[in-house]
Amino acid sequence: MKILMVCAGGMSSAMVIRAIEQEGVKQGLEMKVKAVGIYEFEDEIKNGWDVGLVAPQVRHCLANFQKAGNEANVPVIAMSPQCYTPLGGARALAEAKAAAAK
Amino acid sequence: MNFVMTFIEKVLMPPMTKISTQRHIMAVRDGIVASMPFVIVGSVFLIAIALPFDAWKEFIKPYAQTIILPYRISLGLISLYVAFGIGYNLAKSYKIDPLAGGIMAFGAFMMTQLPVNVGAEISKIVGDNKLGVVGENLTAFGDKMGLAFPLERLGAHDMFVAIIVSIIAVEVLRFCRERNLTIKMPDGVPESIARSFALLVPVGIVIPIIWFFRHIVNIDFGVIIMLLFKPLVVAGSTYIGALVPVFLIDALWFCGIHGDSVVGSVARPLWTMMIEQNGAAVLKGLPAPHLFPEQCLQWFVWIGGSGCTLGLVVMMMFSKSTYLRDIGKVSIVPGIFNINEPVTFGLPIMYNPIMMLPFVFGPLVIGTTTWVCMKFGLVQVPYILVAWTLPAPIGALLSTGFDWRALVLSMFNLCLMTAIYYPFFKAYERKLVADEKAAATSTEHYQL
Repeated sequence: MKILMVCAGGMSSAMVIRAIEQEGVKQGLEMKVKAVGIYEFEDEIKNGWDVGLVAPQVRHCLANFQKAGNEANVPVIAMSPQCYTPLGGARALAEAKAAAAK
Repeated sequence: MNFVMTFIEKVLMPPMTKISTQRHIMAVRDGIVASMPFVIVGSVFLIAIALPFDAWKEFIKPYAQTIILPYRISLGLISLYVAFGIGYNLAKSYKIDPLAGGIMAFGAFMMTQLPVNVGAEISKIVGDNKLGVVGENLTAFGDKMGLAFPLERLGAHDMFVAIIVSIIAVEVLRFCRERNLTIKMPDGVPESIARSFALLVPVGIVIPIIWFFRHIVNIDFGVIIMLLFKPLVVAGSTYIGALVPVFLIDALWFCGIHGDSVVGSVARPLWTMMIEQNGAAVLKGLPAPHLFPEQCLQWFVWIGGSGCTLGLVVMMMFSKSTYLRDIGKVSIVPGIFNINEPVTFGLPIMYNPIMMLPFVFGPLVIGTTTWVCMKFGLVQVPYILVAWTLPAPIGALLSTGFDWRALVLSMFNLCLMTAIYYPFFKAYERKLVADEKAAATSTEHYQL
């Protein structure tokens, strides 16, 4: 599963995306993950991702990210705050899977 | 308690987030951010000449001016980078060729600058005075210099001019594109040539107009805009002005929104100007004019991340609650580098009534201690820009040119803020421990 995550600088999302990756591997999925900052999302989303996850603290930019996602035909959702920690991998992965399935 | 939370969420948050995602504000922010790699590298050279060793200072004295050149061509020329950056990003947001936007903005900005004819000015001064050899040397120097742009205007001084002019230039470009006011070339012409001809009309509009107002009517935009912004800049160094961003940033984080990003979108141009002018002043041996640049927030208030959570994380690591211990352990390493989303969303601080008072209002206390130290010269006002992810004590030291008192203030603020957190943390911990005892372990249970 290919997940692209975005937060302000690409740093806090890097931690969370690792947790999601580990959870995915635990469930036997093949994972490709990347964390970017708000400036890079628009370009990066075009590179063949299954779903885009928006960190809760930049959800005020969600509309912009979703516009980019629509153009690339990739679902983009806001993550719930509760799963935005290194311990929230399982829940985050579940949210990502649900979004990608739509 | 509820009133404050609702106030933040319903009154503060919507307009602030709306402003920060507004197209032009975003382009300005992105334009300034684009210049940051140069500013950070250039600032390293400023740090180099500030190293607090007498032997080193003696050694580099004759070379100091050469050593800080990278600083001078980065932060000292920031208006140039920003003009191009804003033009590029604003055009991109309109789906117009970004290069066209960047170049238009750059050219438009340069048109607002007045080159000085050094030779002519020197001739005026020398005039009929019988200065002999000195007069001849001066005249020769003036002739050799030719035309020169004063470096100071191209730094933060005219940055607001750069911002305004870049936006105007790209809007003219967009206007021309939308009304099809371009010179279309036949199909066989190479892309780059066709593109440059397409730019002829917008450039032909923007350059003469700016030329007319700046050089014929003689309106010095830089001076006027500085006058207009002066109240804002002065306000930023007052006690209230310094604390307003502190409050806003934490109020937004409390609602789970990236406060530094939202407030920064609007404040970044001012903050950039403040640190550049502080640096320029200190280089000349003058006191730094702006008491509370962003660096004061980064190194003395947001220690461990927004809300000054480093001490809180340490308390969590030794907590009686299993959950808090777990979150604390994964938060400590990012926390040292001032990243604290794991705590904001993990504790969680966000929308947690118990943590609201310390998180939103506590930093006002350490903001106060910082401002007092700056105002009364107890600590050197930060004048060097260093990357925000450095551990706060190190950043404080570097940003103030190795003032050891900055280290003391940073540590003092951290201890003070941790003490403020303590009772609230304990109250929350009691609640969690009771919950953990009463229920079976399940992640669902940890939601508030």
